[in-house]
Amino acid sequence: MSKWKRYLRLYRVLITQFLKTIMQSKIDFLMGLFGFFFNQIMGIAFLYLVFEQIPSLKGWTLDQLIFIYGFAQIPRGIDHLFTDNIWLVAWRLVLNGDFDRYMLRPMNILFQVIAEKLQPDALGELLIGTILVCRALTKGIVITDALHFVLFFVSILAGALIYTSIKLFFASLAFWLKTSGPFLQMAYEMADFAKYPTEIYAKGIRFLITWVIPFAFVAYLPASYFLKSGTSPGIIGIECGIAAVLWCVAYALFQYGTRIYESAGN
Amino acid sequence: MIKVDHIHKDFVSPKKYPGFRGAVKGLFSNEKVIKKAVDDISFTIEKGEIVGYIGSNGAGKSTTIKMMTGILTPTKGSCEVAGINPSRNRKENAQNIGVVFGQRTQLWWDLPLSESFTILKEIYNVSDEMFQAQMDFLNRVLGLPEFFDRPVRTLSLGQRMRADLGAALLHNPKVLYLDEPTIGLDLVVKDNIRKAIKEINEKYQTTVILTTHDIGDIEELCSRIIIIDEGKKIYDGSLAALKEIYGTKRTVTVEIREPEKVKNLCLAEILGVGQEDCTASFDKESSTLNVTFNKHKIQVPQILSAVMERVEIKDVQIQETELAQIVKEIYNHGMREGS
Amino acid sequence: MGKRLKIYLPFAANEMKRQMAYKGAFYLFILIDLFSSFIRYYLWMAIYGSSGQEVLGGLSRSEMVVYVFMVYVTSSVVMISISTKVSDDVVMGTVAMNLIKPIDYRLSLISQAFGALMYRFLVPCIFIWSGLEIYKVTVLGLTLAGGKEILLYLLSCIMSFMIYVLFDFCFGMIAFFTTYIFGLRLVKEALLGFLTGQLIPISFFPKAVRQVFDFLPFSSMVYTPVMIYLGKYTGSTLMFMLLRQAAWVMILYLLGSLIWKKVTKRLVVLGG
Repeated sequence: MSKWKRYLRLYRVLITQFLKTIMQSKIDFLMGLFGFFFNQIMGIAFLYLVFEQIPSLKGWTLDQLIFIYGFAQIPRGIDHLFTDNIWLVAWRLVLNGDFDRYMLRPMNILFQVIAEKLQPDALGELLIGTILVCRALTKGIVITDALHFVLFFVSILAGALIYTSIKLFFASLAFWLKTSGPFLQMAYEMADFAKYPTEIYAKGIRFLITWVIPFAFVAYLPASYFLKSGTSPGIIGIECGIAAVLWCVAYALFQYGTRIYESAGN
Repeated sequence: MIKVDHIHKDFVSPKKYPGFRGAVKGLFSNEKVIKKAVDDISFTIEKGEIVGYIGSNGAGKSTTIKMMTGILTPTKGSCEVAGINPSRNRKENAQNIGVVFGQRTQLWWDLPLSESFTILKEIYNVSDEMFQAQMDFLNRVLGLPEFFDRPVRTLSLGQRMRADLGAALLHNPKVLYLDEPTIGLDLVVKDNIRKAIKEINEKYQTTVILTTHDIGDIEELCSRIIIIDEGKKIYDGSLAALKEIYGTKRTVTVEIREPEKVKNLCLAEILGVGQEDCTASFDKESSTLNVTFNKHKIQVPQILSAVMERVEIKDVQIQETELAQIVKEIYNHGMREGS
Repeated sequence: MGKRLKIYLPFAANEMKRQMAYKGAFYLFILIDLFSSFIRYYLWMAIYGSSGQEVLGGLSRSEMVVYVFMVYVTSSVVMISISTKVSDDVVMGTVAMNLIKPIDYRLSLISQAFGALMYRFLVPCIFIWSGLEIYKVTVLGLTLAGGKEILLYLLSCIMSFMIYVLFDFCFGMIAFFTTYIFGLRLVKEALLGFLTGQLIPISFFPKAVRQVFDFLPFSSMVYTPVMIYLGKYTGSTLMFMLLRQAAWVMILYLLGSLIWKKVTKRLVVLGG
């Protein structure tokens, strides 16, 4: 118990410090936020232009697709906000040996990596996600009973964990490859596939994004549970199961990686 | 305090080829190169000792230290620090040790130094009373208040090194590892750092292991030195014993006019000593004569007058023997212990 | 000309070598870039399927396939960013160093970008392009691209490259006025994806928007060469499109020179 308290206290200290440095550059912060926000707006504009030509896409209406799109942003934004520093493991920290400093301290290594940074740019994604979900709520296309309400939050958390796990897994490859940034980037960009209904893809791709790098479980599949009545809540259960398994695998790989870590300067 | 037992560390890396065609070849090749960074090293260090760990670049110093700190896992063999296996029980070990890598700071770059200490207090779970006491001590010994509120990135190298040393000592570790703690510092700062290390060692009986290229660090601090070369231990003993060996050789560099006159000069013959006690080499480009000699057999003036009889001298320099050179010499003499 | 080539060719050659060095990363980035093309491909197929029409925005279903992948080929050859280098140089102060060297800073950057262009053309693009042509003939039942289209396309691409690089140079210069260019870069990329026709053919936009686009350089970067490749422009329209590209090259070149002159003056005064 006191161990948890100590970690929490440290997290607070580190993040407060980090926020202080950010507040010294407010304009930078706002620009980054705007950049991410704007990026997502373009995705929505694309959908609008397309729906000028068609009434629905594989049975999905424009409003439904916008909900899926927005819903996908929330777990992504949460993960992006809290664990962005993992990218540095993939790109730099292992390669140049800066990872040493985490190894020298008597605390959990992954905790140290994560606690060193919040990514405020992610607020742009969270903002647009929330706006689009609220938009769907006002249009009345989302099911809003108590179970759906609870599972909405469960699904978002599980989704964020899936994101984090995938990121951690590919970042951990850096212990073998020195830098695994490109692999991580590849895996991460696959998330874009899940912004749209997966039935538009060929079987192979659908399998890949559902069961191998399961971004479909972060966005499209749970979103459809909230849109279509009669969808089994089991889909959220599977999402949680996948999140748990992925996390265990990714964290084990990370742990193993720290054991074979070679440091730099040789 | 520290027990290192037949430790090994191998690094495996993909083979690289030079040039443009090499890059293409590298795309398809899968060859591996194994480098034995540390090759069967053993030693024991007692509580309160200050040990100099010495070797040329790439000899395996940092690698050994990294194994003792838990950063690297040994390929073979084992080590124990205060009864703990560092790679197996990394966190427990981390609580016992303090580390300063001269080339790289452990502090938070953008934060004021004072905040770094606040964070470290949490990380090492230092109680309020102990924090206060330790800060008072460190402030006095290292002079931290001078720059305590400045962001780390704005500190000078000397200040940063003092800050890093303070950060490594906040939790009063049993063992302190210093990797090139005085690299790039000016003489006054070097002296301060050395004094601080000494004081800490005396006050807390902290065991200190330091790697350095600076002979001054060793003379000031170390009662014992361990020398390694190409991953192997080649010397383990007192500084005095080492001095016996390296103290005998010195080098003097003489810049001369009309260099062609000394082309065939044989100083050993002129001074009446053996070839091994006096060797000269001539560098055409800078027209300098480098004379390496045994200081117990010949004096500098003897050499100079012998040269001056033949040519005009423009400039003279007497060089301190560099540590790397001593290491090489010991290695060449095949002076090995325990193997 | 020969002498100039001698000075600037090493920049291009070095860049090609540098890109070769990142072997694994290189293949992966090709794959990553292709992801979005495949997403768009499947999305368009679904859209055509749902619309019940054969032609959308002036493009048939098969032409849309060609469009999506030629956009990939074109944009990866044409859109080679130098603004990162420019802004880095500005932030690090190395721009001032370049003032004393007897070479033109912008020209050396463009040469580097050209090296990257050649490399990208050789390694992924030519294969994807050939693959697309084979797919076109065997699956889509279209004819092979003619020699004239290919030549005109390549000519148009070269101008597109110049337009993009000259534009990006001006963009990188923004670093002189704000230190944080990352957010702006995101905005730029999102906007360019839209305005150049990468995301969706410009013919899908409402007429009023298209008229605005006509006065911007962006459609000349990707949309124009791809439409030329598809044979959508003929006769005087084709001539006009090529001339418009040439005009943009001139305009952006002059604009870049102007900014550079202003900036270097400031550098000399302030001592960068």
